[in-house]
Amino acid sequence: MKKMLVGLLALLVALSPLVAAGQQEKKDEPVTLNVLFYSPELAEQYNDMVAEYKKATGVTLDITVLQTDYRSVLTSRLNSGDVPDIFMSSAYADNSTYKDYVYDLSNEDFIKQIEPGALQGVISDGKVTGYPFLVQSHSFIYNKKVFRDNGITTLPKTLAEFEAVAKKLQANGVQPFATGFKEFWVLPQTAWQAIANVPTENYGGYEKFVGMLNSGALKFKDIPQMSQLFDLLDLIKKYGGPKPNESDFNDQTSSLATGKVAMIHQGNWAEDSIRKTNPEVEIGFLVGPTGNNAATAGIMFDSNQTIRIAKDSKNLQAALDWLRWLTTSEYGKNWIPGKVKQLSPIIGAAAPDSYIAKETSALLASGAPGYPWFYQMFPTGTEQQLGAILQGYCAGLTNREQTLDALDAAYAKIAKAAQ
Amino acid sequence: MTQLRRKQLNRGLVFLLFTLPAFAAILVSVEIPFLMSVVSSFTKWNGLDKAQTFIGLENYKELFLDDQDMWKAFGFTLRLTLGSVIAVNLCALLLAVILDSDIKGKNVLRAAFYVPNIISLIIIGYIWRFIFSAGFDSFYQKTGWEIFMLSWLGDVNIVYFSVLLVSLWHSLGFYLVVYIAGLQTVPRDLIEASMIDGANRTKRFFRITLPLIMPSITVCVFHSLSNGLKAFDVIFSLTNGGPGNTTTTIALDIYRTAFVINRFGYGTAKSVVLFLMILILSILQVRVFKRREVEV
Repeated sequence: MKKMLVGLLALLVALSPLVAAGQQEKKDEPVTLNVLFYSPELAEQYNDMVAEYKKATGVTLDITVLQTDYRSVLTSRLNSGDVPDIFMSSAYADNSTYKDYVYDLSNEDFIKQIEPGALQGVISDGKVTGYPFLVQSHSFIYNKKVFRDNGITTLPKTLAEFEAVAKKLQANGVQPFATGFKEFWVLPQTAWQAIANVPTENYGGYEKFVGMLNSGALKFKDIPQMSQLFDLLDLIKKYGGPKPNESDFNDQTSSLATGKVAMIHQGNWAEDSIRKTNPEVEIGFLVGPTGNNAATAGIMFDSNQTIRIAKDSKNLQAALDWLRWLTTSEYGKNWIPGKVKQLSPIIGAAAPDSYIAKETSALLASGAPGYPWFYQMFPTGTEQQLGAILQGYCAGLTNREQTLDALDAAYAKIAKAAQ
Repeated sequence: MTQLRRKQLNRGLVFLLFTLPAFAAILVSVEIPFLMSVVSSFTKWNGLDKAQTFIGLENYKELFLDDQDMWKAFGFTLRLTLGSVIAVNLCALLLAVILDSDIKGKNVLRAAFYVPNIISLIIIGYIWRFIFSAGFDSFYQKTGWEIFMLSWLGDVNIVYFSVLLVSLWHSLGFYLVVYIAGLQTVPRDLIEASMIDGANRTKRFFRITLPLIMPSITVCVFHSLSNGLKAFDVIFSLTNGGPGNTTTTIALDIYRTAFVINRFGYGTAKSVVLFLMILILSILQVRVFKRREVEV
């Protein structure tokens, strides 16, 4: 027994220089960037880009892709000092959430290649705190064939027109909407769009509007146009099939793709799932109603998904090089429109082969308003909290008055904590 | 110093030495983090900023005076715990008695009831989410029974039972095993003696078997109680606390306070309160049940 132990120890001593040598060698190896992203539906496209970048430069990107618990994983990793070199977050309110960790991109040459409009959401205190990943839009998506088959030729713009279309579809035995009410992020997207015109019309712009909400000078219950929001939710619920509170993202996309429902409130990220369910499907994009004024009916159009670079990363230069490659190289420029098939924030980028991206451009060109995702300016955490309250309204837990009070109370609390 | 005292001292030293590694491990991995979070509960911290601001008892003040959502979640958690403690233990005990008797295929049945327990609750949540929506839809088309057309996850009056059903389905196997093991320790001679004395089936069960398996009941009730109070994963994947906040449990509320709203200080304050509640309830429960245990 003792002999064996001695033998083992001797072997260990003999081998240790070898191990040490191995470690020495590692230092000269090319860098590996540690990346934390969300949107698992883009996993294929991420991997394609990683392979291409490795071919071009020899640098490896080690990407972890998460979805539902992304925020908690990111928070714990930042906390424990295991900071990823590159990570993603939302724009606006998240600029200050991660302020202690992100690198200021203001002086990087490649930032000049980005559409100034797309940069708005990442600028905070005059600093460019992130890199806009792609430009997204959300509003109502409709199945063109279902509309054709039911003789709907004029596309609805106002609440009354949407109701008329829904009535007609219902009478023909087609379910007008799949609600998506079970997802806590679909509800607020649907709801806030219904008052997207209000901040500029009545409160002097989005920043002032959100500032007043944050300071408590403005309450939701004092905004008369909140009725537009409730009217829209009521309409979707009424024409949203027998179980409106159980519809989730998968239900929305698959029902629309198969023609079981005519309309869903979703964004361009849903197109991939819809076309995977039914490659033949023809889909279009509708403006969302803001009450009964057809002129203000628009789409929500913004760059929200943001790539951020960790300022204390030891691979900072490599991470910046990667962003430069993504902005200026042939492959990088074409990655968002060509592979991810969404709108790119880079100036002069190609148009993607996507129904919704094309219709987004067409709608904006025809003069429909493109509203920023102003609810992302609300303090971090409101999306889920207010979403749950709106979900309660849709489930019949609270009436309009109680819902408004609950929204105000929840908002005030989060705003106070965020100060 | 006498010989005896030296011996005692020696023994104490040996005891200390042997427990030291375990003690150190628990101290580093459990106790110190716990104390750190108690400290955090007196601060305002968003989990990301490098500085934590000390705000004294503010978090606890808000928690007790101005947080209806938390108390609603607390109420739901208590209802869910009560429901699951009763349902799980009754069902498991009943099934254990059946599966402990001489019926055909009892081994297959035991395995079948245990299988859901092996699968992670998160996955079970997603599976049942699918069954409740798409699955029940096609059941309805086949059978025409109205029960499948109910909105099991969308109706605020039904969703409690859906959650209860899924957690019961998942955890039954574990308690079943404990009860079967308990039943097998009941000495046959006592049962036979009672038969000779003329006790019928029900009397035998309540007068002989039940008192003798009291230790199993203590374990099972304790376990289901603390699991009920800590319920998180099944809610997270099945309803995500919805519709509205009707099925939000305290654990989910804490998770959201800390990780979604980024209020780590406040979240830890809530978890300290949850810890105290579980501690008190568990001590009470174990005390009460221990008293009823009998020795053969």
